[in-house]
Amino acid sequence: MISARNISKVFNAGRPNEFTALHGVSLDVQLHETTVLKGPSGSGKTTLLSLIGCMARPTTGRIFLNEREITSLPERFLTEVRRSTFGFIFQQFNLIKGISALENVMAPAYPTGEKFSLLRRRAMETLEMFDLGKRADARIEWLSGGEAQRVAIARALIHNPAIIIADEPTTHLDTRLSHEFMDIMGDLKARGTTIILASHDPLVYGSDLVDRVVEMRDGQVVDGESAL
Amino acid sequence: MTRMIERQRHIMDFTLAALLRRKGKNGALLSVYTLLVFILASILFFTHALKHEAALVLNEAPEIIVQRTMTGRYQTIPVAWSDRIRQINGVISVHPRLWGYKYDKDFLANYTMMVPAGNPPEPGSIDIGSGISRMRGANRGDIIAFAGHDGQPRSFTIRNIFDSESQLVTSDLILLSEKDYRDFSGIPEDQSTDLALQVRNPREYATIAEKISRMYPDSRPIVRTEIQRTYDALFGWRSGLMIVIFAAVALAFVIFAWDKATGLSAEEQKEIGILKAVGWETSDIMLMKFWEGSIISLTAFLLGTILAYAHVFFTSAALFAPVIKGWSTLYPTFRLTPFIDFGQVATLFFLTVVPYTVTTIIPSWRAATIDPDTVMR
Amino acid sequence: MEFRRSTIYMGTTAILVLSLTGLMLHAKAKVRASAPLFARKTAVVRQLELTDLCLFTEATYTRHLSMTDLSTPFQDAPLSLEHFPSGGLVGPPPHLAQKP
Repeated sequence: MISARNISKVFNAGRPNEFTALHGVSLDVQLHETTVLKGPSGSGKTTLLSLIGCMARPTTGRIFLNEREITSLPERFLTEVRRSTFGFIFQQFNLIKGISALENVMAPAYPTGEKFSLLRRRAMETLEMFDLGKRADARIEWLSGGEAQRVAIARALIHNPAIIIADEPTTHLDTRLSHEFMDIMGDLKARGTTIILASHDPLVYGSDLVDRVVEMRDGQVVDGESAL
Repeated sequence: MTRMIERQRHIMDFTLAALLRRKGKNGALLSVYTLLVFILASILFFTHALKHEAALVLNEAPEIIVQRTMTGRYQTIPVAWSDRIRQINGVISVHPRLWGYKYDKDFLANYTMMVPAGNPPEPGSIDIGSGISRMRGANRGDIIAFAGHDGQPRSFTIRNIFDSESQLVTSDLILLSEKDYRDFSGIPEDQSTDLALQVRNPREYATIAEKISRMYPDSRPIVRTEIQRTYDALFGWRSGLMIVIFAAVALAFVIFAWDKATGLSAEEQKEIGILKAVGWETSDIMLMKFWEGSIISLTAFLLGTILAYAHVFFTSAALFAPVIKGWSTLYPTFRLTPFIDFGQVATLFFLTVVPYTVTTIIPSWRAATIDPDTVMR
Repeated sequence: MEFRRSTIYMGTTAILVLSLTGLMLHAKAKVRASAPLFARKTAVVRQLELTDLCLFTEATYTRHLSMTDLSTPFQDAPLSLEHFPSGGLVGPPPHLAQKP
């Protein structure tokens, strides 16, 4: 279980453009479930996702991952937790241009020093899972939107993460690709992966595979809070 | 251990891919950098080998030369002076030298005419340096005529041509007999160009030079160590070749500064953000930047140094020749013996590789420490 | 399978390092082999009582750099310009330039 306790996040603290993205949010996310953070842009969904995903630290409050407090870990350990536990899919996929699809999938594992042949095989297998085996050596710029999306998912899966975090994954996709994305998420869920999505797309939060919708507004959870 | 090496190699793979992505820009950077190292290394190799060669060869130069000056310019010296100078304690021998220049209008060349101490050509014949032979297409047995001081031409038969291996000291020489040279130049019998002294003990050079100055206040003694120091200071920091270096360094530095001052592009910053988001640490980003800097600078250093060696010692510093030649039509080809100062090569390495690598890493420090969540904002 | 980029890079660097090492060894060998050559050159210098290198023949004061006097080449008048390129390359010999 992931538990957020009374977390706030302030950006640009002390400066004229100070901005509070989250106000004392508390939230529990059950493992093996699919949770959607729903709300308009600026409601704090993305900030909450990045805090849960160990990408940033909350200004106040604490986050527990399976009873272990992760908010006070030093950067090295935080990175380690992020790498081993989470897989990220970003709004615009954020693939690295100029290198091949295969290298994009391998890139997150480079710092671990995994043996090249093993890593390559694992990345190939992940790509093949998404029918991208033939496109492995293609540069990112040459991929179609759907292919790029699947490469982004493959990259998120390279460390076999227990939790997938996706931020507005369907914003730049058409309906067919959005459905395809949710189908893939369904497969992952079936394999026991925890999925946390942030979206204001009805196609996402209205999907059958979603177990729980948390509605957010102005940096606070307004609906769907679990009983604490 | 293997994991550590594999991590380095993975990050090197990634860095190389990133460098190849901007082929044009990085290729240009590498070329300019290689060119800079090439020029620097060429000058270092060339001047060091030349100085070393000068030191070895001029070690046998006359120990003291006595000139005579008049109105601030040097004049012929009375041969009679040698008798008094020979009396000075420590002087073994005094030999009046006869030499001077001859400008050849037809070839726009300046020759050095000289009467050798030993084995002079018999009257009517001359020995010439390989440079003159090459320029005039003159061979042994040919006859060459020069106009003397009175305007009358005198013809000489070439007895011998100096071996080209000694051309760094003999290229423009014309050796002739004393009788011919006095007739040719008009130097009176009782005068010579200067005096060459042999001295028993090198520690007495200064004392003897001082005694000569006192004996003949208008004389000017030049000690062998001064000759050697002249060539050791040749191409020193204040001379023209070094200014050429500075110009090249400045040019490269401007390009470099331009490249670095513009800092990391938005694209690069975003990329660092992505890498951090997918699980790279700050140290991994720094490692990537380290490889980026060292790949470029190490390759430039190795390529530049290798090319410079080939340039100076295999092509006889072909690119420097026009600089050295200036307006002269007569010049030696620099088949230099490759005396290498390994300390110089090491210095060049540290001066080219280290600063570049460091300056590649530093601007990325801030970008590397950004929170990975910036890519999500 | 094609080579990894790092393999290609390290291979290239290894070749370059070996080439440079080879050239340095070449230099050492050449220097060692040049002893008789220098014996002949110094013999010429001793026999002819030479004092200078024949680097520049365009001007008398750079042809015999160590034999030159201060005022003529460097210069007759303080504002006169050097007109031989080699005069711009070399400075006056130290024993002329240093103050007594």
